[in-house]
Amino acid sequence: MDPLAMLVDVCVLYSVYAILAISMELEYGELGLPNFAKAAFFAVGAFSVGGLSARLGTWLLGWSWEGSFRERSWLYATMVTKQVAENPLLGLSILAVVVVVAVAGAALLGVLASYPAIRLREDYLGITLIAFSETVRVIARNDENIVGGTFGAGVVDVFAWAGSFRPYALFAFAWGLMLLTWAVFRELSASRYGRVLRAIRDSELAASILGRDVVKMRITTLVIGSVMAALAGVVYSFYMGAVNPDDFTVGKTFLVVMIVILGGRGNPLGPLVGAGVYIALDKTLSFLKPLLRLPIDVNYFAYVVFGLGLLLLLAKRPEGLLPESPNITLHRLKALRSGQRQIAAGL
Amino acid sequence: MLVLVEAAAYSSLLALSSLGLALCIITTRVSNFAHADYMTIGAYAALITSVVMRVHPYAALPVSALLGGLAALASYLLVFEPLRRHGLVTLMIASMALDVIIRALLSILADYLQASLSVYSRGFIFKDITVELAGFKVEGYPLAVMFVTTSALVSLYLLLYHTRVGVKMRAVAESAELAETLGINTKQILALSWFLAGAFAGLAGAMIPYRFVVSPDTGSFILLTLFAAVTLGGLQSLLGSIVGAYVIGFSESALAYLLASMGLSTAYRPLLAFSVIVATLLARPKGLASIWER
Repeated sequence: MDPLAMLVDVCVLYSVYAILAISMELEYGELGLPNFAKAAFFAVGAFSVGGLSARLGTWLLGWSWEGSFRERSWLYATMVTKQVAENPLLGLSILAVVVVVAVAGAALLGVLASYPAIRLREDYLGITLIAFSETVRVIARNDENIVGGTFGAGVVDVFAWAGSFRPYALFAFAWGLMLLTWAVFRELSASRYGRVLRAIRDSELAASILGRDVVKMRITTLVIGSVMAALAGVVYSFYMGAVNPDDFTVGKTFLVVMIVILGGRGNPLGPLVGAGVYIALDKTLSFLKPLLRLPIDVNYFAYVVFGLGLLLLLAKRPEGLLPESPNITLHRLKALRSGQRQIAAGL
Repeated sequence: MLVLVEAAAYSSLLALSSLGLALCIITTRVSNFAHADYMTIGAYAALITSVVMRVHPYAALPVSALLGGLAALASYLLVFEPLRRHGLVTLMIASMALDVIIRALLSILADYLQASLSVYSRGFIFKDITVELAGFKVEGYPLAVMFVTTSALVSLYLLLYHTRVGVKMRAVAESAELAETLGINTKQILALSWFLAGAFAGLAGAMIPYRFVVSPDTGSFILLTLFAAVTLGGLQSLLGSIVGAYVIGFSESALAYLLASMGLSTAYRPLLAFSVIVATLLARPKGLASIWER
């Protein structure tokens, strides 16, 4: 593989984690809602690609599906991909439908998940969401009609028409979505909406006394965050070219939480930086793997490194690489500082 | 009859391990996602001891208890004690990190066992012994589980309610700050609680391989069942978690039996535990303990 293609490949994977981290930052960093079901919302996007792309392709081409989904999804995905290579419109229509389904499904599931989110204390909520997330995975793993169970599902390559430029087309799609997600997040965070989120995070009681609708804010935020995570799932499954339910364990959620804490909870650049550091570390470790000839599997070593890293971070630098800075205007900041100095002088 | 005995044994294992989880939640507020890994550590401790010392895995139970306890003690001293002042969610995330670390270390250990001692160490099981009891041939597993669970529960009860240390432990569980003002060394007491929690989990873990195949990730399959038991018990009650474990254990066994007798796959078995967690927290967060605690 030439270096440029490799870089593009890494960049696509980066955008997946960046989008996931942005959604977690919105929910956990700004609102203080630990969405430990992140993997399930991520899976919604991936499952809509895995479950629909091959079926939709055969349907659009007027073919009839023979045999079970589990046995045939890979075959049909390859066959449809061949047609997409000739016919970009087919690929783009599959992509459009899949994205719409992913967004709608995630929004619906987000509303569902907000039911416990507006009722439970944060630690109870964490356990509930993990149970919810595992429920989604166990069902997908055992019901072979969704994404083929443990066999996984084949994915139609909707960018096949781009030929040798296929990696760049996927890259453009992935980064387009990532930049859009970040712009939406930035806009929300800097507006009144974002200030209310942080007010709820810092004191739910105070925010509700001041007349803010805490319940509504939680539902809206969960829906937005879930939709973002589902978009990441769509990109991820086109990147992998396959969907496997066992890819969406609590471990994935843990990775996203780690990225957000690493980047700095509450800082808008945090998720982007955190995802960058994670991908860089991960790729370096897998690059070093053949060079080092360690007696142990590097993947497990990486898990130990990430786990220890997060523990150290929590103990020594809980604010992350980029600490949260108050989102107030320069004018008021100056006034505040001189005020503090006066108080200090007075004492 | 056999099904009932199996269900009772399974429930006892759950009780033994979820008791420790509840103890950690009550004393240190840590919803420890690494708790089930202490069970896996116990299972591997039994495997290694039985191979190296050439004894039956049953003889390795004390080693499993010791190593499970030490792992939990180390978790407390190295991770949760320094993070004591942090929020509930931070503690939860820290325990997730711990879970990732322990599972990766166990995988490395399993690879090492495979490579250097050529011990079959991923997906291993233990061969059981049969005992002659009143003319019947009985497997060792249900007897061992019942014996270990009963003696562990009785000794914990005696410790908590009939010793000075037990009074201190209950005081710390009630309010660590108040206990500290009264001159109790809370750190010591908490360390003891964590050690006991890990030791119970280690004991339970050493007996899983008689019925389930064990690999480094086994903990993650059991974890949510433990949480279901503790949640059903009200999250704040030791007795509740024991009762919860028996309810979950028996209903899971019944569900699996029903599914199997109807010719359906038992793969959906874990869904029971997940739904119990969600339903209990949403409908009655105080759980079963609300029945006897007013």
